[in-house]
Amino acid sequence: MARVKQVSEHGAEGGVERVYHELRRTMRVTGVDVSLRTWAAYPRFFVAMWEAMEPNVETRAFEEAALGLWQEVLDSTVQWEVLGAWNAVTLGPSQRFHARGALELYETMQPRVLLMVSAVRMALEGQVVGQSGALGTLERLERGVPSRMAAMEWVAEKPADAALRSLFADIVKTVGPPGVPGEYRAMACWPSYLETAWRRLKPRMKDEDFQEEADRLLESARRRARALPYPVALSRERVAALGEDADAVLKVTQALERRSPALLLNLSRMVQDVPDMLRQPMPGASRLVPDWVAAEELR
Amino acid sequence: MNWREWQERQEVAELGNRFLSYVDWGSGPPVVLLHGIPTWSYLWSGIAQGLAVSNRVLAPDLLGYGFSDKRDRFDRSIARQAEAVEAWLDRLGVVDATVVGHDVGGGVALQLAVRFPQRVGRLCLMDSVCYDAWPKGLMAQLGTPGMARRLTPERLTRFLTPALKRKGFATPQTAELLEGLLAPYATEVGMVSLSRDAVALNTNHTLELASKLGHLAVPTLVLWGEKDGLLPAKFGERLAWDIPGARCVKVPQAGHFLMWDAPHAVAMELFDFLERAAPVNHVPRRSVAEELFGSEAPV
Repeated sequence: MARVKQVSEHGAEGGVERVYHELRRTMRVTGVDVSLRTWAAYPRFFVAMWEAMEPNVETRAFEEAALGLWQEVLDSTVQWEVLGAWNAVTLGPSQRFHARGALELYETMQPRVLLMVSAVRMALEGQVVGQSGALGTLERLERGVPSRMAAMEWVAEKPADAALRSLFADIVKTVGPPGVPGEYRAMACWPSYLETAWRRLKPRMKDEDFQEEADRLLESARRRARALPYPVALSRERVAALGEDADAVLKVTQALERRSPALLLNLSRMVQDVPDMLRQPMPGASRLVPDWVAAEELR
Repeated sequence: MNWREWQERQEVAELGNRFLSYVDWGSGPPVVLLHGIPTWSYLWSGIAQGLAVSNRVLAPDLLGYGFSDKRDRFDRSIARQAEAVEAWLDRLGVVDATVVGHDVGGGVALQLAVRFPQRVGRLCLMDSVCYDAWPKGLMAQLGTPGMARRLTPERLTRFLTPALKRKGFATPQTAELLEGLLAPYATEVGMVSLSRDAVALNTNHTLELASKLGHLAVPTLVLWGEKDGLLPAKFGERLAWDIPGARCVKVPQAGHFLMWDAPHAVAMELFDFLERAAPVNHVPRRSVAEELFGSEAPV
């Protein structure tokens, strides 16, 4: 697959910059992850994708679907052997605080991203995604980033350090394209931790039951995406009509979807390795709609 | 000590929705070391160990700097930094301390001394921002939104490293030190945070103190690199003239980062100051008996 240049947050302009802002606010996260930055390389598709997905993403139903998916991931891995990376490395209290914050951020975000990716892939392949609910009829969540959520900090995809570069290359080779997943770039802020964790995660990924679990999660994500409350109005024809390379967009989306379940399984092993880590650390609050807005919407 | 070893020593204190990373080293009378821009507490790694032999060294990363909170959710001016440091000292149970500030950290130390005099038993200012001597061109430039958008973390490092070498130091320094000083800013989040720090540099917050310096009643040492090309030594002289009883020592063969250019001379002056200048005792100390029995303590 040809390399896709991701669009950084501070380098985003025009429609992409607007969508980044809305994504952060609606998904309630401090940054835009690798999958979404990769999509943003196709700006007209990216804006159309967000217009199609946003009504779903801001609902309680989407949140519940993502939480349910994450719960499945945790339940799948809870019986597996403990990763043991957290206690195997020497990290100071501040480093552990930051690393824990990064894991909380990704466990909150990645199930939502997988749901989006699955929904978009199916829509691009011509499948019907979402129910036929009337827009705006379901409960929406309060927008904005939880005050406790860590900043989305990570090292460059091509770091100066040769050992880290080689570790990243191995990760991409194992999990698949299109780039180094965000959670690994984040955990690379503590290279000894990432190196130790990856050395223990990688061999497990080859096991048959790991693969079966990843396949099952993928099916679950697709099922949940199909059940989203509002229709996802997106198609290859629409993407082509917007002047984007629809085949390239589909390939990238398929690649993102293919690797996501395995990444979630690995993420859950890292999360469950940390003592007293909450399973759902950043629950969404109901949206507080001012009376005059509610009255307007009811009218 | 390299920057990762220093980071490993850092602890973390949560202050409401913000957090500070800091090093707490040794025991004895507390000495608080405040860094400036564009550095972090690692700036003090050369002299902290020596100081920690007979003191409790407390070296925080100011808010928005180093490995403290770098999210976009607070004012980073020296006035607010002083409030954060005060809250942090309160959290640690430090009643009063010797406060040493360099560059912007010097401005924070001055704010502390004027606004929270009970916290400052002794004051040492090193090549400190003061009056209208700042912000300097380089940092003012970094704070413009346009500049921040044009930068990448790699470009920022390429831009700052030679500038620090040329203007900050009077003697050659190792690549390890320069890399360490800039390490927290070599990510996208770090780069944006440094730009926000730069835009918060505000002359008003030191000018407002000018008329109050004459009322300070705290033993003060002003240490200045004789070859400081960023903040000329005349400002140190002026500070020492304005603060009653203050002594100004110009350190030969030292630039802005005097603690690296002349570590021995700086340490000697600091030790001498700690030994000779009795701290102001703002809070009447209670005896152990009083702590146990209150004012009804038996004699």
